Amino acid sequence: MTGWAKKLIVVTTVAAMAAGMAVSASADDVTLEFQQWWGVELPDGALQELCDGFTEETGVAIELLSNPYADTKTQVAAGAATGTMADVVGLDGSWVYDFAKQGAIANLSELMEADGYDDSQLSDQITYEGSTYMIPVVNFAYPLYVNLDILEAAGVKDIPATWSEFLDVCAKIEENTDAAAYCIPLNTEAPNGIQNQFSTWLWASGGNLLSEGKPALTDNELLVDVVELFKEMKDSGYFSDGVEALMEQDMVNEFENGRLAFMVDGISHLTTIKNESPDLNFTYAPMPKKDDYDGESGMDVANWGIGIAENCEHKEEAMAFIEYLMSPEINAKLAQLANAFPGNSNAEPDYSENDERFLQAFEIFQNGYAINEFTGAPTAEDLMRSMNEQLILYFDGDTETPEDMLAATQEAWEAAYN
Amino acid sequence: MIGKEKKPVKALIIILLILGTVWAGFPVLWMLSNSFKSNAEIFAFPPKLITENFSFTAYAKIFQNPEQVRFFLNSYAISAIVVVLTLFIGIMASYAFSRFEFKGKNLINTIIVAVQAVPPITLLIPYLSLIVTLGLYNTYWALVLTYLVFTLPYCILMVTGYLNTLPRELDEAVMIDGGSHWTALWKILIPSAVPGLISVGMYTFMQAWNEYLFALTLTKTNDMRTVPVGINLLMGQHAYEWNQMMAMSVLGSLPILVLFLFFQKYFIAGMTAGAVK
Amino acid sequence: MNAKTKKKLLPYGYLLPTIILMLILLVIPILMVIDYSLYDNVIANKNPIFVGLSNYASVLKDSAFWTAVSHTLFFVIVSIVAHMFIGMLFAMLLNTRYLSSRTKGIFRTIYALPWMFTASVIAITWRMLLDPNGVLNYFILFFHLSEEKVTFLASREIALQSVTLINIWSGYPFYMISILAGLQGISPDLYEAAALDGADSVHSFFGVTIPQLKPILISLVMLDFVWTLQQFALIWMTTGGGPVNATETVSTWIYKQGFTKFQYSTASTGAVILLIVCTIIGIFYVRHQRAEE
Repeated sequence: MTGWAKKLIVVTTVAAMAAGMAVSASADDVTLEFQQWWGVELPDGALQELCDGFTEETGVAIELLSNPYADTKTQVAAGAATGTMADVVGLDGSWVYDFAKQGAIANLSELMEADGYDDSQLSDQITYEGSTYMIPVVNFAYPLYVNLDILEAAGVKDIPATWSEFLDVCAKIEENTDAAAYCIPLNTEAPNGIQNQFSTWLWASGGNLLSEGKPALTDNELLVDVVELFKEMKDSGYFSDGVEALMEQDMVNEFENGRLAFMVDGISHLTTIKNESPDLNFTYAPMPKKDDYDGESGMDVANWGIGIAENCEHKEEAMAFIEYLMSPEINAKLAQLANAFPGNSNAEPDYSENDERFLQAFEIFQNGYAINEFTGAPTAEDLMRSMNEQLILYFDGDTETPEDMLAATQEAWEAAYN
Repeated sequence: MIGKEKKPVKALIIILLILGTVWAGFPVLWMLSNSFKSNAEIFAFPPKLITENFSFTAYAKIFQNPEQVRFFLNSYAISAIVVVLTLFIGIMASYAFSRFEFKGKNLINTIIVAVQAVPPITLLIPYLSLIVTLGLYNTYWALVLTYLVFTLPYCILMVTGYLNTLPRELDEAVMIDGGSHWTALWKILIPSAVPGLISVGMYTFMQAWNEYLFALTLTKTNDMRTVPVGINLLMGQHAYEWNQMMAMSVLGSLPILVLFLFFQKYFIAGMTAGAVK
Repeated sequence: MNAKTKKKLLPYGYLLPTIILMLILLVIPILMVIDYSLYDNVIANKNPIFVGLSNYASVLKDSAFWTAVSHTLFFVIVSIVAHMFIGMLFAMLLNTRYLSSRTKGIFRTIYALPWMFTASVIAITWRMLLDPNGVLNYFILFFHLSEEKVTFLASREIALQSVTLINIWSGYPFYMISILAGLQGISPDLYEAAALDGADSVHSFFGVTIPQLKPILISLVMLDFVWTLQQFALIWMTTGGGPVNATETVSTWIYKQGFTKFQYSTASTGAVILLIVCTIIGIFYVRHQRAEE
C-alpha cells in the first residue's frame, strides 16, 4: 500500500479498533476460520465432522467458510491484499508461488520447526525460495477414463496403450460412432486443460515442461510430438465440438452422456459420474505412452493443499490444526471420503467401501510417479493461459509449426520466471 | 379501407408478438425445464423439454437446507434496506439538483455519471480494505452501503428528471403557507411522484438482489451471504449441481417477477419522466 | 447565520448524505486506484516504486490492450444499437391500440423476463443454450440451417458476436420499459395533428415519436454505454475472453492483469483510462442536459 493511502487507513483504523474491542474481549476461546472449497465436494457435513474432532481434542473451534471454487482464488487474492484472509486456507498448488511472494501466506517450515513436527511423514511439500508454504492434504490422480460401450460400438477390443494405438482407436470411433474420441477443455476462464488434459500426455511418456525449475519448451522433442499429436487429433475431428469454449465440467457432462470415449480427469469425479449416470460402462486405464517409450509414467496429480494466512493471529493453533488434518488416521479418513490419495505417507485409508474402479486407479497411480509441474510455478494460471492461446493459434493455422508455437509460449513463460 | 389495412397489420403484430416471446422467454423456459431434470439429462442430446424423471427434487433440496433459505432472507433484508435508503437519500439529492442553483452543481453531476463507469472489479481491493478499516467486513452494512453507492446515481438522475416535470408553483404554494422546503418536498412533491419512485425502487431492488462480486468478497460466512453467491456455491471444482443452480435461479427471480407484476402499472408510468427528461 | 447564507447552504444540506457516501465509498477507492496506477506494482510488491505515468505509456503501447479496446467498442456499439432497436420494437408493439390492456400486461412481463436474472445465471443459461450439444444447435440441425453444429462460443470468428448476443438479450428490457413509458407520455394530440397534415404511420413515427422520445433515448444510450463498457461477468463466465483473445474486452483484460498476473498497477492503469473516457462522456451528457433546460 502506498503513502497517503496508508495514512488514511491508519486514521480510520482507530475507529475500527474501537469496534473491534468488543470482539477481542473473549480471546481465550480461539476460533480458527478455515476457508476452502472442499466442503462442497465432500459428502454433506463430513468436513465439519472431522473438524469437530479437532475441537474436542484441543478446545479450538473451527469455523468453516465455504467458497465457490472458481472464485476462491480471487477471494484469497483480495483477502491477501487486505489482511482479511481466513486463518487457515485451502490452496491450489498453482497459487502458492504468487501468494507466498506477496507475503500473504505464512512460512510453514518455520512453524513446523517451532512445533518439532516430523515432516518426513508428508508425501510432499510445496516450497517457495526453499521454505514450505503449502502442504498437500490429499492428492487426486488424473488417469484416463474410458467409455467401454463406445469402444465396443467402434469395434475396438483393447484399450490403447500407445499413441499410435490410440489414434487408430480414435479413427474407428470417428468412423463407427457419433461420439467424440477425446476432449481438452480450452476455455480461457479456467485454462486447466493445459495441465490436466494436455501436459498429462507429456508426463506419461517421461517428458517435462521445465528443466531445473525453468521453462524448457524449446528444444524439447517430446513436447513437439505431443503438440503434433494434438494437432492431428484436432484436424481429424477426434475432439468434442467446440473445445475452445468448454470447461472441465462440460467435458465431464459429455462423458456422462456417453458422447465422449476418453477423457483425462480427476478420480474425485468417480462418485459424481456414478450418481449421475449409473448405467455408464466405464473404467480407468493408464495414459497411452509414446510408441518407443518404455520407462515409468508420470501421472498428473492435483491436490487440495493447505496453508496459513500471514495475518493469522493464532499460527500455533493453526499449525496444530494442519497437523491434525495430516495425522495418519484423519488424513486417511479424508482421503477415503474424497476419493483421493492421502498426503501423509503413513496414512492407510480403508478404500474397501470405495468403488472397485477406484482401486484400479490407485494401482495405476502406484505403478508410476506423481508429477505436476504447474504446482508452485509463478503465475501458474497465466502460464497455462498463454500456452492455451498458443495451442489454439497453432490448431487454427495462425502459427506454422509446433516449434514456433512452443517458442512463442517459451517467451511468455520466461517473462513470468524473471 | 380501414378493414383492409387492419388485417395485415394485425397479423404482423401477432407474428412479432410470438417471435418476441420466443426470444425473451425461451431461455427462461429452458432454465425452468432444466430445474426439473437430473444433472445428466440437462446435457442430453437431442434435448427434451420435459423428461421422464421430471421431479421437484432440486427445489426440495433448497428448501430443506436452512443455509440456502438463509441466503434468501439475507437478500430480502439487504435489498429492502437498500431500496429505502436509496430513495430517501436520492430524493434529497434530486431535490437539490432540481430546485436549486449552486456552485459545483455541474461538477457533482458529472462525477455522479462518470463514477459508474469504473469496472467494480478494479475497485475490489481498495474497496475491501476500506470496508475492513471501517469495521464493516462481513456485515449487512458492508453490502447495504456498497449497493447504495451503485444505485444512488441512477436514482438521482431519474428522480431529478421527475421532479423537474413538477411545476415549481407547487413548492411555492407551500412556502407561502409558511411551510419549509422540507415540507414542500415530502408533503407535496413526493406524493405526486409515487409512480416514479416505485420504478426507481424496483430497479434498485433488482440491482441489490442480483449483485454478485461484492456480495462474495465483502462477506465470508454463509449466514451473511446472498442468493447470487448461493447459486455460485453450487458450482464445484469439477462438477456443477446444474439442476439446483437452475432451481435457485428460478426461485431467485420470483420476488422480482412478483414485484414487477404487482407494480408494473406504476413502473411504466414512473419511467415516463423518470428515464430523465 | 443569516438567512442568505442559510439559503445558499441549503442545497448542500440536501446533498450532504449523498456527498458523504460517494466521497468515502467511491471517491476514496477511486483515488486509491489512481494512486496505484502511478507505482511499478502494488500489493504483490512490498516496496512499490513511484514511476509516474510510465504505466500509462506501456499500457497504451500494448497491442493486447488495443485489441481489447476494439472488441469493447464492437461489443458496446452493437449492444446499444440492438438494445435500442429491440427495445423500440417491443415498446411500439406493446403500445398498439390493437391489444387489450390485459394482453399487454402479459407480454410486458414476458418481454421483461431477461431483466430478472443475475449475470452468472444468464451466462450459465446461455452457455447451455449455445453449447454444440445444446438446444439451439438441435434446432439448427433439425431445420437444416447448417450442416454442422455451430460452435458459437468456441469459434474465434463468431465468439464475440455470440457474447454480444447474450448481452443484447440481457439488456434490452431496460430500453423497452423506458421507451414504453415515454410513449405513453406523448400526447395523442400530436399524432392527430400529424394525421391531419396527411402524415402516414412512418412519417408520424419519425416526425412525432422520435423527437418526443429524444431526451429519454439520449439518457438511455448514455447509461447503457457506461454500463456495457464495464460488463465483466457475462463475458468472463462464458468465454473468459477467449478463444485466444477473441472476446477479450477492457474489463477482462483488467481482471487478468490484476488477478492472474498480479500486476495490480497495470490493472489500475486500465481502470483509470476507462474512468477518463467515461468522465468525458459524463461532461457531454451534463452539458447536453443543461442545454435542454
